Amino acid sequence: MFGLIQNELLVIIGRWRSYIGFIGISILMPLILWGFVHGSNELHNDYARELGGTFMVVGNIFNSFLATYIIMNTLWIHIPFLITLAAGDSVAADGSNGIFRITLTRSVSRLKILVSKLLATYIYTAALLIFCAFWSLGVGSLVLGTGDLITIDNGILILDESQAWIRMALSFTLAILVMCTVATLCFMFSALVNNAVGPIIGTMFLIIISYMIMGIPLEFFEKIEPYLFVKYFNVWWDAFKDPIPWGEIGKKLVILGLYSAGFFGIAVNVFLKKDIKS
Amino acid sequence: MILETINLTKSFGLRKAVDNLSLEIPDGAVYGFLGPNGSGKSTTIRMMTALISPDEGEVIIQGKSVQANGNMALTEVGALIERADFHKHLSGETNLKMLARMDGTDMSRVQTVLDRTGLGARGKDKVKTYSQGMKQRLGIAQALLSDPKLLILDEPTNGLDPQGMKEVRDLICELASEGITIFISSHLLDEVQKICSHVAMISFGKLITSGNMEDLLKASDLLMTEVQVDDAEKALKLLSDIDWVHRCDAIDGILKVGIGMEKSSELVQLLVQNNIQVSAVIPKTSLEDLFISKLGKESQI
Repeated sequence: MFGLIQNELLVIIGRWRSYIGFIGISILMPLILWGFVHGSNELHNDYARELGGTFMVVGNIFNSFLATYIIMNTLWIHIPFLITLAAGDSVAADGSNGIFRITLTRSVSRLKILVSKLLATYIYTAALLIFCAFWSLGVGSLVLGTGDLITIDNGILILDESQAWIRMALSFTLAILVMCTVATLCFMFSALVNNAVGPIIGTMFLIIISYMIMGIPLEFFEKIEPYLFVKYFNVWWDAFKDPIPWGEIGKKLVILGLYSAGFFGIAVNVFLKKDIKS
Repeated sequence: MILETINLTKSFGLRKAVDNLSLEIPDGAVYGFLGPNGSGKSTTIRMMTALISPDEGEVIIQGKSVQANGNMALTEVGALIERADFHKHLSGETNLKMLARMDGTDMSRVQTVLDRTGLGARGKDKVKTYSQGMKQRLGIAQALLSDPKLLILDEPTNGLDPQGMKEVRDLICELASEGITIFISSHLLDEVQKICSHVAMISFGKLITSGNMEDLLKASDLLMTEVQVDDAEKALKLLSDIDWVHRCDAIDGILKVGIGMEKSSELVQLLVQNNIQVSAVIPKTSLEDLFISKLGKESQI
């Protein structure tokens, strides 16, 4: 299995499309950080004004943790798109490029091939988010410095620097797991069709439609909300609550895990029976 | 038998692509698989290599059912199905290493098969820089990677220039001489006749005939005979009125006459009686003749 995953990673690394996400983040993050450096006084004043009635703010509350916290809140539509660029290709591209005529005639089971493709997609997903963390936390720390993290959770929550590192690591770990669900959804579409564009459109369509449904304050939509997997995407946010709601996190991860298992189950069911005609 | 298909049937919608097809491929044979376009050759080969599931019947390779064992039945099989496609952004060598990793094949085999297929010097180049012929040779290289006992080749010379076709043909003959069983479908009857020991013909998914090539040609109803005469034009004119002569052409002064097996001495007698000197009579039924006689003139391979 390790060899198969290695193969899939080689393919991902060799495709220029895989780098779009990394290039995008490399352009976006410095821009955001540059914006934060130049607008940090403004943001600091806004925060200080809101907190001023209750707290006496000493020093600068704006640092890489707060910047990362803000960035994470803004990127959750864009990151899935970047992930789908690689996940959409994972099965469909091999079909459309005729690679399956070579790989599926070898003495390796289709299930093993599919599992290795999924795991490679997960590794790519994790790498993209770690890269995101590298920019916002790593480079951000050098540019904006570190300090306490001020977040809002039923009021103001101040986490000291050592806690902030832990919470950020937890938050990114949860974000990776959330994005793995997105990757699995896209992977499922990739196993259903023979072109890489369909899975990207299908995945983004489902995510955007689900967010739209969640945003409509009608009883009917509120009833179906618990069945929408995007409802549980905010699990990474739980890392910044105090105390950390492990039970809630566990429940959300189980639900996302079940969705992923369902998506993968469909992919397996289709792929194992698929006639390779092209 | 190294490979057997038993009552293999596959439909796509209402169209029956392969209909109750049973074949037996003996160990060590070079087995030609012929049929007109759309006759079900590729579908049959894809069922043999687990790319397509049959609706009915099964494929047995070395005693193992492909349908029951899936790809595990293909342990000692190398296959090249139609065009050879690889990851174009990776080198030929990397592509082969990936496949070796899948099979659990020793990495040293990669260079061996690259050298064997004449790609040793180009292994490190990206596949997108390869010509069609080189890609096809890389396709054969990947099929040889796991040192197979059975090679299944679907149109391996498609898209190759005459030199490339000859190279592939020579390679197939070389592999056959080493005892590898080869199952090959090809458009080129002449090529199949040159390299195959056995042949099967299908039409509309059904088996028309199969067996040892020599025996089939001998048993053909239509004996094609090459006759060397001093006046081909006169002979052609004479034979065109004879009812037991089914076909008659003159190519480069040599007559090619289609007659029944028992009529060859009568043919010579007739020509001599009409003052046409006969210097040679060579019974030479070609696979093309056999193919046309079995499938009809409308057959287009």
